[in-house]
Amino acid sequence: MLRNVALKSLRDIRRGFLWWSLGLAGFVALIVSVWPTVHSNPSLNKLAQDYPEALQAFIAFGGAVDYSSPAGYLGIELFSLMVPLLLLVAAIGTGAGTIAGEEERGTLELLLANPVSRTRIVLEKTLALVAEIAGLGVVLWLALWVGALLADMDISAGHLAAATVTAVLLAIAYGTIAILLGAATGRRTVAIGLTAAAAVAAYLVNGLAPLVHALEVPQKLSPFYHYAAGDPLRQGLSLTHVGVLVAIAVVATALAPYFFSRRDVAT
Amino acid sequence: MAEVVRAEQLTKNYGLNRGIVDVDFTVEAGEVFGYLGPNGAGKSTTIRLLLDLIRPSRGRLTIFGLDSRRDGVEIRKRLGYLPGDLRLYDRMTGRDLLEYFAHLRGARGRGAEIAARLDLDLDRTIKELSRGNRQKVGIVQAFMHDPDLIVLDEPTSGLDPLVQETFYELVAEATARGGTVFLSSHVLSEVQHMADRVGLIREGRLDLVDSVENLRAAFMHVEATFAQPPPSDAFEGVAGVRRVEQDGEVVRFAFEGEIDPLLKALAQFHVKALDVREADLEDVFLARYRGEEPDAP
Repeated sequence: MLRNVALKSLRDIRRGFLWWSLGLAGFVALIVSVWPTVHSNPSLNKLAQDYPEALQAFIAFGGAVDYSSPAGYLGIELFSLMVPLLLLVAAIGTGAGTIAGEEERGTLELLLANPVSRTRIVLEKTLALVAEIAGLGVVLWLALWVGALLADMDISAGHLAAATVTAVLLAIAYGTIAILLGAATGRRTVAIGLTAAAAVAAYLVNGLAPLVHALEVPQKLSPFYHYAAGDPLRQGLSLTHVGVLVAIAVVATALAPYFFSRRDVAT
Repeated sequence: MAEVVRAEQLTKNYGLNRGIVDVDFTVEAGEVFGYLGPNGAGKSTTIRLLLDLIRPSRGRLTIFGLDSRRDGVEIRKRLGYLPGDLRLYDRMTGRDLLEYFAHLRGARGRGAEIAARLDLDLDRTIKELSRGNRQKVGIVQAFMHDPDLIVLDEPTSGLDPLVQETFYELVAEATARGGTVFLSSHVLSEVQHMADRVGLIREGRLDLVDSVENLRAAFMHVEATFAQPPPSDAFEGVAGVRRVEQDGEVVRFAFEGEIDPLLKALAQFHVKALDVREADLEDVFLARYRGEEPDAP
């Protein structure tokens, strides 16, 4: 685990990864275990569909509010908010800690004294972030798949995977933005704060767009729109929308070494 | 001799009263170059430029004939660095840290051997180590790959005297096999002990560069013990005297040139003992910069 910067970075987060995995799996287990009750109670679906439109836009994932199908239920309870929230917190935390965290702790100075270019350090640390979030995605998908089998949910492993992959890519997009901001400023709190603020804004823009005409165009710029619009739990992976999320991560990753290599590293 | 480091009009602007201005010097292969100066004078700025942690505002800096910025990776393959403010990965053991850096360097190195010489326990996490032991880890990682240039920033801070001796041996061995050492310090006795040449930086400007031998030869150190403490103004205006320091019956002088005027002045009083020897670097710098600033070297 000490062969290079990427593996060393993964080694650093190994304990955190374990806790994140347990948390995610536990949360999925909790939600799935309630499914039989929800399923046998059609009035709940009726109630939800009577919610104001504004609320419906926020709680649904992709398609309409629907408590009667596993896809609708998992979308509302997991994928519309909690799954992206948890993955984003993990990704932004790791991303901001990666360059800016080492810089603030002072260990970056000695790392940079080794014959490793700054570009390589950023790229290897990005690779570690991708591996971490993808790993959490695998845990999430496994928990969903096993849970769906046990709770007798009628949803395919493929559709669960499509939603998980989309959520993972959303988190990676924000994680790379946090790396970029940390690499450019050297300050962890700035990287966390700005990335989190951008995520909240994008989430709100996407949620409010159905109600506010003026947000129709900005909505298309929101990563959360591309996260949900393909309706992956019902439709599978949408290459167009997933492509946008990947593009965001690629652009952020391409810019990070540029800014990092040009600036002075703090004492 | 081949040049290992060359700085030409090296300038780094940082905000007010910081950074360095038009610094010129060269460091030759196989020598120990002592870089002296008060805190905040620009020592660390120069070192951070050598490491390409910060970028010059103006001027040129080459190491092994390579551009410090463009060829940073090539340079750092042949460079070892001990930072003044050493920060290591707290949760790693010394062994893991050395293994990590050895991998990044693509060379096994002789970390374990040097650690053993320094009596350093590599199986403790950095967090568990005392300051002195952390400094040893810093020394090991700076020396383990036998670098051609070793940059040391206040290397002996926190080390006990026995370990300091081992450290001096490591430096001597490095230069014996042709390695070059850039040593930043404000401990003059240490620089005098190790360095061949020194550069003195003050307020961001390189004030002088000379060999330790030349600098010391310019002054003599005289220590006179009197029967009675002489009046405090007794040696004012004596030709050649650059500094007087009185401690009761004992008076110390730094002086340059012929000793005769001082001897005549001393003879007015009852002298019990007299010691004349080559000046220490400390005498030299105190004599040169007396009264200019309280924290002068």
